[in-house]
Amino acid sequence: MRIKKLAVLAMSALLVGGLLAGCSSNKEEKKELVLFTWEGMFPQEVLDGFEEKTGIKITFSNFDTDETMLQKLADAKGGDYDLVIADDYIIETAIEQGLVSKLDKEKIENFNNINPVFQSQFYDENDEYTVPYGAGIPLIVYNPESVNFEIKGYADLWNESLKDSIAITANYRVINGITLKSMGESMNVDDVDTIYKAGEKLKELAPNIRLINDDNTQNALLNGEASVAFLYTSQVTTALAENPDLKVVYPEEGLGFGIMAAFIPSQAPNSDEAHEFLNYILDPEVYAQCIEYIGYYSTNKAADDLVSDNLVLPDDAAEGEIIQNISAEAEEAHNKIWIEFKSECE
Amino acid sequence: MENFKKRKKSKLWLTIAPLYIFTLIFVGGPLIYMVALSFMSRAEVWGIVADVTVENYTKILEPIYIETFVQSFKLAFSTTILITLIGYPFGYFMAKLSPQWKKRMMILIMIPFWTSALIRLYGWIIILQSNGVLDKLLMGLHITDGPLKLLYTYTAVLIGMVYSLLPFMILSVYSSAEKLDWSLIEAARDLGATRWKTFLTVTLKLTLPGLLSGVILTFVPSMGLFFIADILGGNKIVLVGSLIQDQMTKGRNWPFAAALSVVLMIMTSLMIYLYRKITHTKDLEGIL
Repeated sequence: MRIKKLAVLAMSALLVGGLLAGCSSNKEEKKELVLFTWEGMFPQEVLDGFEEKTGIKITFSNFDTDETMLQKLADAKGGDYDLVIADDYIIETAIEQGLVSKLDKEKIENFNNINPVFQSQFYDENDEYTVPYGAGIPLIVYNPESVNFEIKGYADLWNESLKDSIAITANYRVINGITLKSMGESMNVDDVDTIYKAGEKLKELAPNIRLINDDNTQNALLNGEASVAFLYTSQVTTALAENPDLKVVYPEEGLGFGIMAAFIPSQAPNSDEAHEFLNYILDPEVYAQCIEYIGYYSTNKAADDLVSDNLVLPDDAAEGEIIQNISAEAEEAHNKIWIEFKSECE
Repeated sequence: MENFKKRKKSKLWLTIAPLYIFTLIFVGGPLIYMVALSFMSRAEVWGIVADVTVENYTKILEPIYIETFVQSFKLAFSTTILITLIGYPFGYFMAKLSPQWKKRMMILIMIPFWTSALIRLYGWIIILQSNGVLDKLLMGLHITDGPLKLLYTYTAVLIGMVYSLLPFMILSVYSSAEKLDWSLIEAARDLGATRWKTFLTVTLKLTLPGLLSGVILTFVPSMGLFFIADILGGNKIVLVGSLIQDQMTKGRNWPFAAALSVVLMIMTSLMIYLYRKITHTKDLEGIL
């Protein structure tokens, strides 16, 4: 009797095990590439084109936030995924954690097409690990019909006439960062007192805030809910496409920018295919298609002529600063002043 | 015979076993993980380190974090009051309807549940946004001159909370009121009690379990519901729920998020404990 019971249990265990095993990929003869990035990062034509050209089947895996990506990649110990596209600061962490493999540049003939402005950044000083895919520059956009003065920089957001009419993104490092910039400080300042000082200044912005949101923030500007917005690049592009009368401001205090870059995880199962894909998207024509689709700034010099003007970095914009990882203490302070700021809004 | 019974029993155990195992793994497991996590510390850059500390809990006592608990409590409290004021009479009078109308009302209450809560909230955005449905209506009737700023306000959040949680109160009160023995009310009136006194001493007393379970079913979720405040409030109200989410994602401070969750769970469990103490029942009226 006991043996029978055990058998039943063993059987059920087996069934469950079978279910789990079903999750892992079944080996096929066909070449494969597992792409791990946000949703909507490539136009379908580009993906189809790659499959047609090389016979490599692309499997898409999505994440919502950089943090989720890193968590999953860490859980897979740098395996499972062949190519990841994510933001600069998280790539620095991924490299530090040993989750990224060095690129074999011989396999990427188009590597020299990359615009050097976006290379040798803090996360990959010697360009050993990453290929930039696009750059984002959060900018101020406003509706000149409902704003009665010319906005030139971050400091103008504090103007009293903008009461209850600004929409901002919800990334606290960015918003705290522009507050620091408006005080003439670096976005990456590590001194906690300076961050708290920025917090006090940020609180004064609260009466002007109408909305804090990361998704489709441009809608608030387009439907008249807000008259000024601080938007991510893709949102700026969407807003302008919808209403060309909106004014875009490259803030005089300096820009903050971010780079999305591709890297190959340390234990990528199909590293060769990943190199092939990187080479493919660095092709100027293919790249131009991609960048028009995602609406970010081009990081591919060879493709600049093929890309709409508003997606090519203006010459004076090189003075940007990238938000970097800072000490846990400073990060904590940023977190705190953000919560205080939000509680102040209402 | 005895043996047969025993065998039957042991087989029964086997049929329930998956449920227990499921609960153990998917409810007990994460809970233990969360509590353990809340005593660890965040690593300098990424992840957690197993340095045992109570710092995450002492940190909650800092004014800004206390303030978020107070904010959540305030919102949950005002939501519950409003829902009680609307839901109690609604459920009570619904129980007095004819069987046919009861069915119709029930269907009307249930239909919105077929659509995702998120989509229904976006419906509220369309109504409340500037130059939206409500604005156009008010301007058309010449009640207001220009667009009002209704969206992204505290009122908008309250509307969304009440709207989302109201059915739970209605259903609980309804199921209590339906069980009510109406002859008791007649008796009270016959014996000379005024309408008001009858309501207080008979009706309210007998429907109290339903009312209180409605309070639990609205108060407890509204402590944790943060997406309504995010969507309709424009992210400007910091609630415990959004604080936990922020700490999990952008803040990258999982241990602190876990500690916040533990405190929130203790607070809500306390509410349910109080409910059981007051009503002397184990189950929530109306739902279970």
